[in-house]
Amino acid sequence: MPLLFHADTAHAAKRRGIVCLAIALWCASPVPGSSQAVVVDVRGIVRVGNRPEPDAVIWLDAPNDRGPRSEKRFVLDQRNAAFFPRVLAVRVGTTVDLPNNDRVFHNVFSFHDGKRFDLGLYPVGTTRQVTFDKPGLSRIFCNIHPNMVAYVKVLDSPYFAVSDREGRFTIAAVPPGTYTYHAWRPGRKDLTGSSALPPGKDLDLEWR
Amino acid sequence: MFYATIASGQSIAVDWDQSAGYSTEDVSAVQTKLRASGDVTPEVRFNITGVWGKQSEESDAFAAAYPYTEHPVVLDAYVERTFRPAGRLFGVRLGRYRTPFGISSESDQGYVGFQRDPLIRYDDCFALSNTFFEHGADIIVGWPRLSVEVSVGASRDVGEHTRSAGLNTVVRGQAAAGSVIVGMSYIDTQSHLSRAEPELALNIDAGADASPALAPEQEHPSAQGSARFGGIDVRWMRGGVQLRGEFVTGDPFDGARTHGGYIDLIVHRPFMGPVTAALRAEHITHTDLSIAVLHGERYTAATRVRLVHGFIAQVQIVHNSQTLPQRRPTAVDIGVFHSLRFN
Repeated sequence: MPLLFHADTAHAAKRRGIVCLAIALWCASPVPGSSQAVVVDVRGIVRVGNRPEPDAVIWLDAPNDRGPRSEKRFVLDQRNAAFFPRVLAVRVGTTVDLPNNDRVFHNVFSFHDGKRFDLGLYPVGTTRQVTFDKPGLSRIFCNIHPNMVAYVKVLDSPYFAVSDREGRFTIAAVPPGTYTYHAWRPGRKDLTGSSALPPGKDLDLEWR
Repeated sequence: MFYATIASGQSIAVDWDQSAGYSTEDVSAVQTKLRASGDVTPEVRFNITGVWGKQSEESDAFAAAYPYTEHPVVLDAYVERTFRPAGRLFGVRLGRYRTPFGISSESDQGYVGFQRDPLIRYDDCFALSNTFFEHGADIIVGWPRLSVEVSVGASRDVGEHTRSAGLNTVVRGQAAAGSVIVGMSYIDTQSHLSRAEPELALNIDAGADASPALAPEQEHPSAQGSARFGGIDVRWMRGGVQLRGEFVTGDPFDGARTHGGYIDLIVHRPFMGPVTAALRAEHITHTDLSIAVLHGERYTAATRVRLVHGFIAQVQIVHNSQTLPQRRPTAVDIGVFHSLRFN
């Protein structure tokens, strides 16, 4: 039976649409060798109204968590004159590969909030890298192709995920406890609330 | 150097662009373009681009990369596959595509703050044209930083002046080191303009007081022979400052010679936010039967501003030397561009 949370924060009146964040707790399991005896995978669905919302970033605050970094390589591809994925979430300090996989040049830059850089021109098959060393949102553009837009959300937390085409997401290996959660999608302000994450409970979050 | 795995699963994207412009040369233009691209399979991609444009009169104003044919035309229509065996580069492109000579891609020519072709790439100027297209095959081999591209195709140009039917060969080599990218190109093709009449020719030595050169669209005797051009292009970029240039020389038909080039300085520094500024200097000389019939310089200052919701505004001031035919000494071009993406 899902628990229903209404995030009627001071920001809510400014937001249009409804974001439904359904968080299901799955798979309470011990992690061998970890100082955390039990962790859970937080799964859910992001919706705007009744529509599942892809490319939303969901994360849990964990400012004091200095756990090991993921070995996963993060790639923001340039392909068919588009960035792929369109939304990327990484932890602070992560280095992201930006390969050019098109037969034309791209000029990737970010001059607004977050990390500021201009990678210049680089030909097909080559890769440049950017280390995102501060939390925040970086809007990534190509100075040659105006339709190329991507977002890199840099988080000071190891617990985050990006929703897929069906709006589904999984935040892996979260120690049970009470967390402040956030959700973000392009063009909207962050959704923020607080929830305990006891094993075996489903959480639905509706954002008005 | 790093090589990342190619991502797969991207859906088809459709871009719909509209542009409109007015030049103080009393030229106005509107245009719309539809482009669909995506992955046929994770390895094979396609690109189809169609365009419709209308110009109040024939001019190179707002002509960068686009023809104004007053009826819809297909520009690109190709499939391509790129391989990366052990860090090397191998790509095949089949179908209809722009002639890959020098700085030829539509994106390079159309979006960087200029909306006029360089003189050496306008189809009235006895050199090359941005509206040359090939029906054929294009292969690129090498490494990401050192590659050779070969295209063999038949001419299927769009626009006012098109090449005669025949087989074309283009060879291009490109090397990249640090912030510098250098390319060398050679094309063996057919002529796209007729021979100029000598009595209308311009004597270079007469300088600025000479009579204007012949109007290129006047009827001229047919040209004989094929066209062969060689060129070099250089790009350098650092910290939001790009310097690039392209220089070509060759024979547009038997007994004639054209050479020319341009240098662009394009600045987009972080403090400039949505503004890109550009300067261009260019020249061209065409000699026909040992007499110069086209000779001139042009200087351009341009700015492009990214506005909200996909709108871009462009303003440029163009100064032509008096020896360039049918052009006012100074012109101001104002353009608005809007783009939508569906995927």
